[in-house]
Amino acid sequence: MTEVGNTFKDIVCTFCGCLCDDIIIEVDGEKIVKNTNGCAISKERFVGHMENRCLQPTVKGNPVTLEKAIQRAVEIIASSKRLLIYGLSSTENDAQREAYRLAEITGSVVDNTTSVCHGPTILGAQESGETTAALAEVRHRADLVIYWGANPAAAHPRHIPHYIRQPGEYIKDPKKDRQIWLVDVRETTTTRMVDRFLKINPATDLEVIQTLRALIRGTKLDVTEVGGIDIKELEEIATAMKTAKYGVLFFGLGLTQSWGRHRNIDAAIRLIQDLNAHTKWGLMPMRGHYNVSGANKTSTWVTGYPYAIDFARGYPRFSPGEYTAVDMLARGEPDAMLNIAADPVAHFPRAAVAHLASIPVINIDPKFNMTSQLAEVNIPAAIAGIECDGAATRMDGLPLYLKKVIDPPDGVIPDRDILRMMIKSLEKVMK
Amino acid sequence: MSSGSVKVIVTSGRTLNQGRAMEKGKITQDYEDAVALCEMGSTTMEALGIENGDTVIVKTGLGKINVKAKLNKNLPEGMAFIPCGPYFNYLLDSYTQCTGMPGFKSLEVTITAARGAKIQTVEELTQKMKEGI
Ligand code: SF4
Repeated sequence: MTEVGNTFKDIVCTFCGCLCDDIIIEVDGEKIVKNTNGCAISKERFVGHMENRCLQPTVKGNPVTLEKAIQRAVEIIASSKRLLIYGLSSTENDAQREAYRLAEITGSVVDNTTSVCHGPTILGAQESGETTAALAEVRHRADLVIYWGANPAAAHPRHIPHYIRQPGEYIKDPKKDRQIWLVDVRETTTTRMVDRFLKINPATDLEVIQTLRALIRGTKLDVTEVGGIDIKELEEIATAMKTAKYGVLFFGLGLTQSWGRHRNIDAAIRLIQDLNAHTKWGLMPMRGHYNVSGANKTSTWVTGYPYAIDFARGYPRFSPGEYTAVDMLARGEPDAMLNIAADPVAHFPRAAVAHLASIPVINIDPKFNMTSQLAEVNIPAAIAGIECDGAATRMDGLPLYLKKVIDPPDGVIPDRDILRMMIKSLEKVMK
Repeated sequence: MSSGSVKVIVTSGRTLNQGRAMEKGKITQDYEDAVALCEMGSTTMEALGIENGDTVIVKTGLGKINVKAKLNKNLPEGMAFIPCGPYFNYLLDSYTQCTGMPGFKSLEVTITAARGAKIQTVEELTQKMKEGI
């Protein structure tokens, strides 16, 4: 760590999957006072890290010691028949590994927030493979970058300015030598940052992608428009994609959460495979939470599967739609939930939240969130990449080391240590 | 001025304000301001006879919720946008097409004008969900 006085250089921002690693953080005593290079969200994350903070463990709203909170959490877990462990994408790799260990020893289901973001991306990749690229490679080589169903200006504010509108080895002038296009169902703030915007009708992504595939293969189509785009324009797009020297398709939740889900991704992967018969193309999901990509990787190393895993039989089984958190909760299956670094009450549909509200919930999070309002046990945690170290994986799969820049509040420890305490105590109880 | 209702497709997604407010903390006014709103185009607003900042009731088969109307000139007729968060999710069903993923991107809703009606706070909304209302 380069440390000049209280200035920390090359800090990794732990908000979104860009994991920008050029952040400069200035600390004055016990406060972070400045974030240089970070986007508006990053500034809020670092400078506002003490706002809305949960500082004291509670059980049923009453302040307790950490040991007492762990004890109650362990009682809930040990007496549960169908525990759901969820979250994990806004924490670091070691905490994720402890969560899988906990799932294994208790025979529970463990799912991460992938199931409500890029789960369909993984399902698509399981069917059709992966055609990926590194962000550095994109910066150095890509002459055509397409965002599809993504709004990086809002969700990944530095994706375009930091990685894409930058010169690279073979792209000397990123404005002239590189085209950036956007495909979406509505104009967003990203529209202003790109060279070309293609508006398609809602829920027609699959048709548009399949049409492009057909055109790239040289098929003549007897239609005038697809998804609201004139066929002549689609022909021109197909030609531009085929003749690009190096293209990359970044896609967001507009593709994974819309009608078609993993079929959209399956088609997008095959489109990229088709294009690779002519030129070089890659494809990359715009991962949202900073370490959701890491959650998939650690889960796959440890259990063999990326999310939606059930250990009830003592060995891991994978079944999206069955062991995914929303489906589990909507079916009313879990009788207890351990939530780590996520906020399902804010982000799940109502029926899932209704069941969650009826079962004991253990919530581990640095801040008060909506889940903490419903949880029986709340345990505050240190923020990885600010108050403790760790490792996380960028959206292109690059692992990065997260540094600590300031001490956590008194008595507040990292997620991994909270989970280790639970496991230690559970191992005694479950002997 | 009309005070009828309109049927539109609502899509949800991230906004910069929602991201910033989420980082600040969910139990804050900033978060409520960032997510308890419904963006719509000028034609939709005219049809409803409302102005920027008026309360609207957004309704699906599952329930209804009050949010603040926000003009977004770029939204086409027939489409509205609610930032991802608890207000949108309150209206959303849990069907995932067996993928784990609910249909966050296209929800058929009816929007009705409700100028002056109160918008629930994040805490009130959580309480409501706790009571199963
Ligand atoms: S783009 Fe993402 S990782 Fe980069 S500074 Fe902004 S929030 Fe942080």
